[in-house]
Amino acid sequence: MKNKGITLFLIILAVIIVTSVTFDYYFSKPDELPENPYALNINLLEKIDNSKILYTESRNFGLNFTEPSGICFSEGQFFIVGDQKMQIIDTFGKLKGEFKFDQKPTCVYVSTQNIFVGFRKSVSVLNREGLKMNEWNSFSDSSVITSLAEKSGILFVADAGKRIIRKFSLAGNPLGVIEGKTGNDQIHGFIIPSPYFDIAFNEDGELWVVNPGKHALENYTVSGDLRTWWKATSVRIEGFSGCCNPAHFAFLPDGSFVTSEKGTVRIKVYKPSGEFLGVVAAPSRFKENSAAPDLATDNEGNIYALDMDKKMIRQFVKKEK
Amino acid sequence: MLFSSQSRRSLRRIIVLQDPYVKIAVNMLNVNSHKQIRGIEMENSPKNSRRDFIKKGTRLSLLLTLGAVGGIAAKHLTGEKYVWQIDPFKCTQCGRCATSCVMSPSAVKCIHAYDLCGYCDLCGGYLKPDANQRSTAAENQLCPTAAIQRKYIEEPYFEYVIDESLCIGCAKCVKGCTSFGNGSLHLQIIQNRCLNCNECSIARLCPSEAISRVKASNPYKVKGSFTKEGKS
Repeated sequence: MKNKGITLFLIILAVIIVTSVTFDYYFSKPDELPENPYALNINLLEKIDNSKILYTESRNFGLNFTEPSGICFSEGQFFIVGDQKMQIIDTFGKLKGEFKFDQKPTCVYVSTQNIFVGFRKSVSVLNREGLKMNEWNSFSDSSVITSLAEKSGILFVADAGKRIIRKFSLAGNPLGVIEGKTGNDQIHGFIIPSPYFDIAFNEDGELWVVNPGKHALENYTVSGDLRTWWKATSVRIEGFSGCCNPAHFAFLPDGSFVTSEKGTVRIKVYKPSGEFLGVVAAPSRFKENSAAPDLATDNEGNIYALDMDKKMIRQFVKKEK
Repeated sequence: MLFSSQSRRSLRRIIVLQDPYVKIAVNMLNVNSHKQIRGIEMENSPKNSRRDFIKKGTRLSLLLTLGAVGGIAAKHLTGEKYVWQIDPFKCTQCGRCATSCVMSPSAVKCIHAYDLCGYCDLCGGYLKPDANQRSTAAENQLCPTAAIQRKYIEEPYFEYVIDESLCIGCAKCVKGCTSFGNGSLHLQIIQNRCLNCNECSIARLCPSEAISRVKASNPYKVKGSFTKEGKS
């Protein structure tokens, strides 16, 4: 009788212990715990009214890259750089050519006669067949080349590390710099908190430059004088938020700006005047904490985004009304 | 005392087993004699070597186990220590560093990689996303304990310094900096505050397994290459 009582007590105790351990184990799992009281809710910023989304993703095709870094669209072909190579791909995703480099390229620009490939501290000039014609190494150790644009025989090189735009002749002779200062009394010109510094020419031959620290797009003459600018600082969809946006931009045939942002990744369209038009791709279309996609456009107004996390080119076409 | 079987039998016959104590004594004599006889028999039989093998094997196993335990203990005493470390590249800013640490406030603090920072006026780690102005006003600050100090450097740059004594490791600023900025703010376990528990209560709950045991000679995994000396 006494033994039976002890045995029963031990059984009950064992059951209590096993139940407690099991309860603690299952309810202490990471996904079973209460909500984070310190959560920063940025989901509200990622929700976009469908009426503001003007484009739809029509197709996409994967790339054979581990780390794609730049895209340019010229004469019906995509020029993609990344890893230690450049690939030429047609609009159906078929590989047309591949060229190897000894270092990772950061950007590419294709003119009618040449292909300009930017590396961290150098620029290579190739002909349209991919044959290397020239290489320019006269950059600083702190240089980070992020964008290229060419007009009237002058190559403009955006150097995010030095926060200037360098000008070169096609023979590689330096022709000066654009610092982004509007006056001699200014201490700082371009505000570049991170290696995102994009430049492009529009259809009218105007040089536009992103000043990401000011959330502004600025128009400069070839000689470096500021002509006009517009900016949009806001956490709302109409503006640019974070420390340095937009990260990339391109022009549509009508002169509208297409911008892509880092942080809360999204692609938007602005009128030539800088007025917000609409959204091309909402944040929900991208992975969390993904890189800002590089952009390219064609003559029909289609927008191509180089998604560096999904390693693909994504085409966006305007929705029919 | 050895008894032959014949003499045992004689004893039984002779002794009258009337007294129970006598019976017990005789039985004991028989048992002892049986044992002794059995002992002699065992020495000569194959069963002896098996038992002997088991005994020796058991002793050897115990000895090896003791040796291993001793060796491990010696290694722990003389070898390098291990500490807990957060991998900032795996951290998802879930907030459990602030709520799950056995220390209060948590041993996890935010540190700043100044070489990655943009020194921006609109700092995603300092200001709330819907801040009505870019100022040090409390209603605009993201940090629940006002542990980040904003200092004007020169137009348009601002410096952000973490006051470690106020920081609770909630990662709200880390989330903001990662989402909107360069990700220069990140969490680390401060070793002179951490109790170095055998099982870290935060590590047990970390959804991204960002906390791991590392050698004490390399306790921190910081982003960038420069953090302000003497301060976070």
